[in-house]
Amino acid sequence: MPDVEMKPAEAKPSTEKSAAEQKPAPVPVSPLVEIKSNVALIDRAVSTLEPRFIHRVLRTLTALRKRLDDSVLRNAIDAIYPKDNAVKTTLLGWLPSAPAAAADHSMDVDLSAKPATAEVTPEAEMYLRLLILQHLLLEEETQEKALELANETVEKMQSLNRRSMDAIAAKIWFAVDRAYDLAGEISDARPLFLAAQRTASLRHDDEAQAALINCLLRSYISYNLYDQADKLVSKTTFPASASNAQFARYHYYLGRIRAVQLNYTEAHTNLQQAIRRAPPAKTAPGFYQAVHKYFVVVELLMGDIPDRTLFRHPVLEKALNAYFDIVKAVRTGSLAQFQTTLAKHAAQFEEDNTYTLIIRLRQNVIKTGIRRLSLSYSRISLRDICVKLHLDSEEDAEYIVGKAIRDGVIEGRIVHEKGWMECGTQKSGYGPEVSEVFGRRIAFCLDLHNQSVKAMRYPLNAHRKELAAAEGAREREKELAKEIQDGDLDDEDLGGDF
Amino acid sequence: MSQLKTLYEELIRAFKQEPADLKKCTLVLNKLKIGLIEAGLLLPQGDVNLGDLVVAREILEIGAYVSIRSRDVPSFDRYFSQLQTFYTDYSESLPPSKREYPIRGLNLIRLLTQNRIADFHTTLESLDADVIAENKYISHPVNLERWLMEGSYSKVWNAREQAPAEEYKFFVDSLMGTIRNEIASCEEAAYESLPIRDAASLLFFTTQSDLLIFAQKRGWQVDISAGTINFKRKGEEKMEIPKQRLITASLTYARELEQIV
Repeated sequence: MPDVEMKPAEAKPSTEKSAAEQKPAPVPVSPLVEIKSNVALIDRAVSTLEPRFIHRVLRTLTALRKRLDDSVLRNAIDAIYPKDNAVKTTLLGWLPSAPAAAADHSMDVDLSAKPATAEVTPEAEMYLRLLILQHLLLEEETQEKALELANETVEKMQSLNRRSMDAIAAKIWFAVDRAYDLAGEISDARPLFLAAQRTASLRHDDEAQAALINCLLRSYISYNLYDQADKLVSKTTFPASASNAQFARYHYYLGRIRAVQLNYTEAHTNLQQAIRRAPPAKTAPGFYQAVHKYFVVVELLMGDIPDRTLFRHPVLEKALNAYFDIVKAVRTGSLAQFQTTLAKHAAQFEEDNTYTLIIRLRQNVIKTGIRRLSLSYSRISLRDICVKLHLDSEEDAEYIVGKAIRDGVIEGRIVHEKGWMECGTQKSGYGPEVSEVFGRRIAFCLDLHNQSVKAMRYPLNAHRKELAAAEGAREREKELAKEIQDGDLDDEDLGGDF
Repeated sequence: MSQLKTLYEELIRAFKQEPADLKKCTLVLNKLKIGLIEAGLLLPQGDVNLGDLVVAREILEIGAYVSIRSRDVPSFDRYFSQLQTFYTDYSESLPPSKREYPIRGLNLIRLLTQNRIADFHTTLESLDADVIAENKYISHPVNLERWLMEGSYSKVWNAREQAPAEEYKFFVDSLMGTIRNEIASCEEAAYESLPIRDAASLLFFTTQSDLLIFAQKRGWQVDISAGTINFKRKGEEKMEIPKQRLITASLTYARELEQIV
């Protein structure tokens, strides 16, 4: 179970990868230098109260994580903190002491000659802790240590309570969740997360709140506690300023909850949002595949057939193979084919947690079958329906057709005395709902436009120049007006003379 | 604590008796619940003696059974939510109860009869797939739901006698009511007219008078002389142009465009 859950989790950090990878690719900077420059950026962010720099640092996190090793981290800590600093010793304590690296590291310190004398901000410490934590999480044997570090870091973070730390804190929470996940104690972390979520929402700490809500949802859903997850969703508001990656995960979890609750329309919208907000398929294939699995099933449950092209997508082709078979069975409306496919791929569906959803498709298979019959025949006996759809008895067929008519799946009528079904013509699909759909789309476009206008950044004080220019123009206008006035007067004067 | 013990023994006696003394059970249960709260066992928190928990669970389970037998569904609902803690949070430390799955199954049937399909599926999701497929207490309501959804009402009707436990039959009546209403609404849409005899068999009525009462309730026109029931066609809903909405929409577009230009 946690394995399935891990996919979106692992996929998530790579969200920022695309941006990060493009930058360092041309000039490969050594990780040590990068960490140092990042710490400098964090210091700058704290001193200028500009969270932008921290975000820039965090964007490089994933790319950096892959290039870390013990000695790099040790050297970085050595170079950043002055000698005999208490923080330094605790931080170094988390890394295994490697005497072999000592010679190497003294050289490095020499290279970065100037010892950091200035006070190092707690934000920088948290950043380093985050790096160590992520590094420890990569290796299986250090995971226990990672959990310890995670707990200590959380305590420290909460006692510091600094607003400038929020962005880093969100990342740390995510790493903490991961640490608990790998230790297999995800349910133990729930009280901790719940308390932290409360604090974060009281402090309007949007980033941490978004990360924490997702951690909690993940924890609930991996234990199949959809009820609790639903209550959490209804009692909290997901911060609108959360990052795209967090939104993608939130929509994914919401989509899953709604699908279980049979609210397929909402599930569909949420999953679609998750797909749209997700990073490109190649960078985070795990998340992309997981969302699409649910997306396909929900689309089938809504009575739609997913696009054929979806199953040809290079990232999805293999992962969605079993789902493609199900789609084929539903499309032909053959119950027998559906049952064999279901039996064949049952293990995979169970692993994907979609099994119960797919079982619900049975009725859709029947409905599709009836719809196909109603389109191709104008009159068909219940006996034939029963044979064609492999139903158990004629009696069942009558009830099933009756239900299909009531649910609006087909237009038609049963003539009981003669034992057949008469199929009516389809209604034309033009009504007020068309304008409604159209209106919704226009609203979406307008919203998109407004959001992008809001998202634009303007350089500080740029408007001064414009103001000055406007001021100058006004001056000139005034002069001109004055001249004209003077000229007028002159004319009049002249006129007076003549 | 000793008082709790005597009450507990009293409850077991009253419950095991044939037929069970429901009135006495309810009385004793009320006292026991107060006792459980005082002992901190109704909603256990922190470290508690596992033996005590097993007893507390059994008391609540009996409570759930008693409320079903006395047809008190809201009370069953309360007992079930209290039992949830024992079934989910303490599932690892407590020995499994043989009453757990029957009670879970009863809860599923209850959700089904109340037409709370969304809750039904949410609850189902918390159970393992092989339990759903193999446990007869769970697979019964699951099959019922499947048949209801696809419209195989006759299978539901035939399954009513195959209930895995005595308590399941308490829900049969209300379930049959739900089915009849479902079938009736299907018939209204799917037929123009139906012979009375066939209508009775479709709706699982054995006597004509039952059917006539039911038909009256749903407002069907019964033509006794021709022996048919006629269903009123709902007149084609008149299409109205939603003026108000169109105007507001146009005004919003105008305002938004103004902002853009």
